[in-house]
Amino acid sequence: MANQQTRVALVIGSGGVKCAAALGLYKALKREGIEIGMMVGAGVGVIYAALLALGLAPEQMADMGAQLWSHALTAKHKRRALWQILLPNVFGFDENFGTVDDTLLWERLRAAYGDAKIENTTIPLYIAATDFHNGEQVVLTQGNIVDAVRASLAIPYIFQAHRVDGRLLVDGSLSDPLPIGVAIKENANVILTLGFESPYQGKINALMRYSFQVSSVMSNNLLKANYAFHALAHHGEILPIRPQFQQHVGLFDTDKIPAIIAAGERAMEEQMPYLNKVLALAQ
Amino acid sequence: MDLKTDKRDDVVVLAISGSLDALSAPELADTISAQLGAGSVKLVADLAQLDYTSSAGLRVLLNGVKAARQKGGDLRLAAVQPNVKKVLDLSGFMSIMKSFPDVAAAVASYA
Repeated sequence: MANQQTRVALVIGSGGVKCAAALGLYKALKREGIEIGMMVGAGVGVIYAALLALGLAPEQMADMGAQLWSHALTAKHKRRALWQILLPNVFGFDENFGTVDDTLLWERLRAAYGDAKIENTTIPLYIAATDFHNGEQVVLTQGNIVDAVRASLAIPYIFQAHRVDGRLLVDGSLSDPLPIGVAIKENANVILTLGFESPYQGKINALMRYSFQVSSVMSNNLLKANYAFHALAHHGEILPIRPQFQQHVGLFDTDKIPAIIAAGERAMEEQMPYLNKVLALAQ
Repeated sequence: MDLKTDKRDDVVVLAISGSLDALSAPELADTISAQLGAGSVKLVADLAQLDYTSSAGLRVLLNGVKAARQKGGDLRLAAVQPNVKKVLDLSGFMSIMKSFPDVAAAVASYA
């Protein structure tokens, strides 16, 4: 087991429902008696980073994750959004634009996290969001989990930005899809990462698909550039955990969560012999 | 570049002024290495008077922070000026190094 000097961080980046694989990683680590010293999340990864940080039972977290992130979240569109696009001067296009009504998202976030505060979690929690005005990464380390998670889930074009402590925040993936730098800055020695590249559109036959394709190209290149820098900049070890899925997993395929968790557990188990060696060396 | 070293309890403050570039970076690298070798692992780089840093300077800061962290310490930044901050932002350093508005805050952060 790691000693006090060895801080193991789990960084969960973007990846939709695939981020549930974090629960499998956690199960494998717990079985080996390896404690996670800090949780870092961005994008959809914050959902699971926050659940893990609260120290809930794995089964409970799987249920909550499935209930929280499903296709129903995007079912109700804002009619006004279309008019804002077509007639911006008449309908007032502004920085709070989003095409989807976020009422259900708020309800689910409140049901999942209640009044829990970031600073009171069992495992120290760092939630990465992005300042929409200047693009800077904003790391939230205190305040309501609900607000922080909502901010990091403000996926451009879909959910509107959310204001926290006077700053208008959007998806943490926009500044770093896999915020390893947060764990480096907070002196984690061994950093486990779970993040996924943004999927490319099969068919680009609509403006939104075109926009998402552009976002994916930029986001994936940002992921690679940041990963390369962090790999060189870290004084310890960064272990990317790469679950292999037997079938295609879409952004909201919550019915596949058990298989996703199992894939995460297998991927972590494959790395376990090496992780144990790294932790033994660090002692 | 001018480099001054000051010890505040168990924290060593390195006041770097002028230009940190290929010609001056080796002196900073040697100083950091000597401090770490002597067991001083809590370092603060006071950049209040630093006007410029090139890639050579960035490499020294990066090697310094990695070496300090490997020994259980850290290299933290204080009073980074706008021109230098632009370079540190551009290169991603601000995402991995702790930065404080002044030396007192940086020193206090080790408490």
